[in-house]
Amino acid sequence: MRTTTKIATVALGSAALLPFLGAGIAQAADGNTTATLRPVALNGVKANGTAMVTVSGTRIDVTMAASGLLAGSPHAAHIHFGADARHECPVAGDDAKGDGTINTTDGGPAYGPIVVSLTKTGDTSPKSGLAVDRFDTAPGGKISYERGSINVSSDVAQAITEGKAVVVVHGVDHNDNGKYDGETKSDLDPSLPTEATDPAICGVLNAAPAGGMDTGAGGTSTPNNEGMLLLGGGLLIAAVGSGAFTARKARNRV
Amino acid sequence: MSHPTKFGDRRGSIAAAVTVVLLLVGGALVGKAYSGTQSPPQPPAAQSAPSSAASASSSPGTTLSPSSSATTSTPASTSEFGPIMPPSSPISLAIPSIGVNTKGIVDLKLDKNGKLEAPQDFQKAGWYANGPTPGEFGPAVIGAHVDSKSGPAVFYRLGSLKKGAQVSVVRKDGSTARFVIDRVARYPKNAFPTATVYGDTNGRAELRLITCGGAFDQSTGHYVDNIVAFAHLIR
Repeated sequence: MRTTTKIATVALGSAALLPFLGAGIAQAADGNTTATLRPVALNGVKANGTAMVTVSGTRIDVTMAASGLLAGSPHAAHIHFGADARHECPVAGDDAKGDGTINTTDGGPAYGPIVVSLTKTGDTSPKSGLAVDRFDTAPGGKISYERGSINVSSDVAQAITEGKAVVVVHGVDHNDNGKYDGETKSDLDPSLPTEATDPAICGVLNAAPAGGMDTGAGGTSTPNNEGMLLLGGGLLIAAVGSGAFTARKARNRV
Repeated sequence: MSHPTKFGDRRGSIAAAVTVVLLLVGGALVGKAYSGTQSPPQPPAAQSAPSSAASASSSPGTTLSPSSSATTSTPASTSEFGPIMPPSSPISLAIPSIGVNTKGIVDLKLDKNGKLEAPQDFQKAGWYANGPTPGEFGPAVIGAHVDSKSGPAVFYRLGSLKKGAQVSVVRKDGSTARFVIDRVARYPKNAFPTATVYGDTNGRAELRLITCGGAFDQSTGHYVDNIVAFAHLIR
């Protein structure tokens, strides 16, 4: 008897908890996010774009369009997130060395490390962060990128839906000679010039607005209008009937 | 020729009197219903079909372990994107078919609950300034009131907007973003299809025009539905 009660209590207790657990998981997992990509401070790139990330559990779908980038050169593109980062794009004050540009090291405190590599094919893990042969080369300076079903950790998925992840497209032609070159090497890979990895455009993935809008004060709403209209219309139709009857009577009298 | 009887006469005059009363009362009611301001036009309520994006996203489908970070299952497609303009803030909006021509578009932001705030001014449209600008890739959002406490506001007639109607947005850089309406739908606010309205636009620069619709709830002081017009950028 006592055992039965205990079991019943436990069962009831967990049943009561279930909906809350479910709600919590669903909330953390799904969402639509958009980043408007704007030129990174100091780096002087006249490019722009938009990235949209749809989060479904631990799967993300990404589309991105950008223009104004150095044409015909690989542009590494990533989603960045760091728990300790500021979850924003770097500002001029992040230029730690004071060399007048923002490189990848300067960007770290703002947006954190790479969590997803937005490659066109193959692996999308941070390991592919500099897989230059698999990134978009921006023909005509434009990127039109679409990639579905990228799997991420639940932490990353949650960071994206909470507006803490940042999309960065790299590749800055500082000296405007149409290619990546120069004496300064990349902080990430000394075999590459820093131009190839400096952040060009950047945007925080913001969660879409929740729900609709309250856009009316009711001044033109007349809740009883329909009833009034229906009744009035009905009466008018009845009037037509009785009017016809009257007319026939009148005609008959002549 | 039937013989007019006294009875018939009386019936005739009663009918005449009834007709007059019916005409007066019925006419008065119809007149009252139409007097002053008319209710704003409403598109039919959206079928309870959830957005394809939302339903697709909620399908459990591929359940790879959450810890397997960043592996891939679908190759990237290089689909053709539609026309896209560089960013520039909107300054005016014109929708000739419903007589909208509004200047001085204000910036809108989210409130503490993440909900998009409406413009303070009933006679101004607002743009969600944290999203894409109208003409940029993605869903640009412009919202405006359907009415004030006293009468019609900027988007009073949004519900009567038809597919194919032209919308133009003049932007700060002097360019004009021209859109064409794809559809107009009405959604209950408590079942607002966030993914459909604010989610990925499949390679197009799109525009969302949002106002209120449906019944007015006197207890909350808000309409119960939203009317959303979906449009895409044309070259």
